Amino acid sequence: MKTLLSRLWILLFWLALVAVWEISCRVWAVPEFILPMPSAIWQAFLDVEFNRWMAHLWATLRVALSGFFISLAISLPLAIVMLRSATIKKLLYPMLVVIQATPVVAVAPLIIVLVGTEDPSRILITCLITFFPMVVSTITGMSATPDELIELSRSLQAPRYRETWQIRIPYAMGHIFSGLRVAITLAVIGAVVAEFVAAEEGLGYFIQFSTSFFKIPQAFAGLIFLACVSLLLFKSVQWVQQLWFPWSLNNNE
Amino acid sequence: MEKQALQQASIELAAISHRFEPAGDWVIKGLSSTISQHEFVAVVGPSGCGKSTLLRMIAGLLSPADGAVEVYGHAVTAPRDDVGIVFQKPTLLPWLTVLDNVTFPLKHKYGRVSKAESEQASVLLKRAGLDGVAQRYPHQLSGGMQQRVGIVRAMLLNPDILLMDEPFSALDALTRERIGFDLLDLWQQQPKTVVFITHSISEAVLLADRVVVMSARPSSVVEDIVIDLPRPRSQQTLQHPDFAALTARVRTHIYAQVSAD
Repeated sequence: MKTLLSRLWILLFWLALVAVWEISCRVWAVPEFILPMPSAIWQAFLDVEFNRWMAHLWATLRVALSGFFISLAISLPLAIVMLRSATIKKLLYPMLVVIQATPVVAVAPLIIVLVGTEDPSRILITCLITFFPMVVSTITGMSATPDELIELSRSLQAPRYRETWQIRIPYAMGHIFSGLRVAITLAVIGAVVAEFVAAEEGLGYFIQFSTSFFKIPQAFAGLIFLACVSLLLFKSVQWVQQLWFPWSLNNNE
Repeated sequence: MEKQALQQASIELAAISHRFEPAGDWVIKGLSSTISQHEFVAVVGPSGCGKSTLLRMIAGLLSPADGAVEVYGHAVTAPRDDVGIVFQKPTLLPWLTVLDNVTFPLKHKYGRVSKAESEQASVLLKRAGLDGVAQRYPHQLSGGMQQRVGIVRAMLLNPDILLMDEPFSALDALTRERIGFDLLDLWQQQPKTVVFITHSISEAVLLADRVVVMSARPSSVVEDIVIDLPRPRSQQTLQHPDFAALTARVRTHIYAQVSAD
């Protein structure tokens, strides 16, 4: 009951904000190409065919999710290897930092030139941006395993891979999911950046061409749609954690 | 003493010394002691005297820089199957139920748990009064219950030697006393050699056959006191005329270490 009430308040807050926006635009007669009214944005949203929206959505999601999952598939084993071997960690860590420190926007055009204008290059750009938080959070989580649990494993003389699979990785889940929450929003950013550089489809592409044709309400519609998608992906990561890894939400020992 | 000489030695510590860095300060220097089979030995000493280090060396988790640790006549070079450890914290896995936590050593060591083993775990949980919470998760249990699960887990592989590193230190006084008697019950049903590290003098005297007092760093054994209080021990033991005298004796030796520091 209390949560329902607080949700109602949040909804009211947002509605009020939209109302203030709408009214301010009307009162001061703000030109549409500077700041369109919510009603105009809604109209622009409806004016674009549903199928067009879905095509753009699919193009962006395809890249963002492929990049996210490929990144995940690489970063987990890499984190394990880096945790096991100090030498490999010393070799690779600086490289990861360099990749992370280089703005992906600056590298994106070069990658398009190198890899081409199709999906692979866009997925690669997404990977580059999502990779770092995943590796770092996995390493941090696996190193945060209490010493006693590692001693328990050693006292049982269990094989090392079981120490990793049955103790370190489950223990790291809380950290891994913090990394994944950051990474999923970065994945959308990566996909959009790639579309800005080279694409014929996708929400990022849609926003860019709408802006260049001065269809500002349509650009806003694309932007808000994109934000909603990003938010939904973020929430999905949280749901997965709550559903399958509930312990990782409260193991702050 | 005669009785002990007849019994088989379980753990033999021969002039062990240890330091964590090659040129560092000695934590333990020339410590020797013999622990008989199925004896309950409590180890007390000033804080930082290397009690946990000693325990880890018996467990085979740490090698002494000098001297030898022997279990049943074999030098300890790696952890052994017949040694169980109970840690200061319960160290349960938060994503497993109580039952799965108890069988975790089997799953971790062999990769699977048979039905018979799982039933054995249930029996042990029942004996420890934990059968009602077998399907709960650790965070739903009190600290005392969590530690009891930790003890049951160590018992599952039926180790001949049980090493306990201040297992009750995080518990309140009442729970602590009760769980201590529970431990004695389990120990009497399934005799084991117990090395019990504690910083509570009365707990040491109440539970153990022998109290080994360690000196401050670099530590060795300063006193080895036989506790000949009658068994089974209970609340009445606390009122036993010798109890106060023995506790006072242990205390005198520890305080001598602290003031010498």
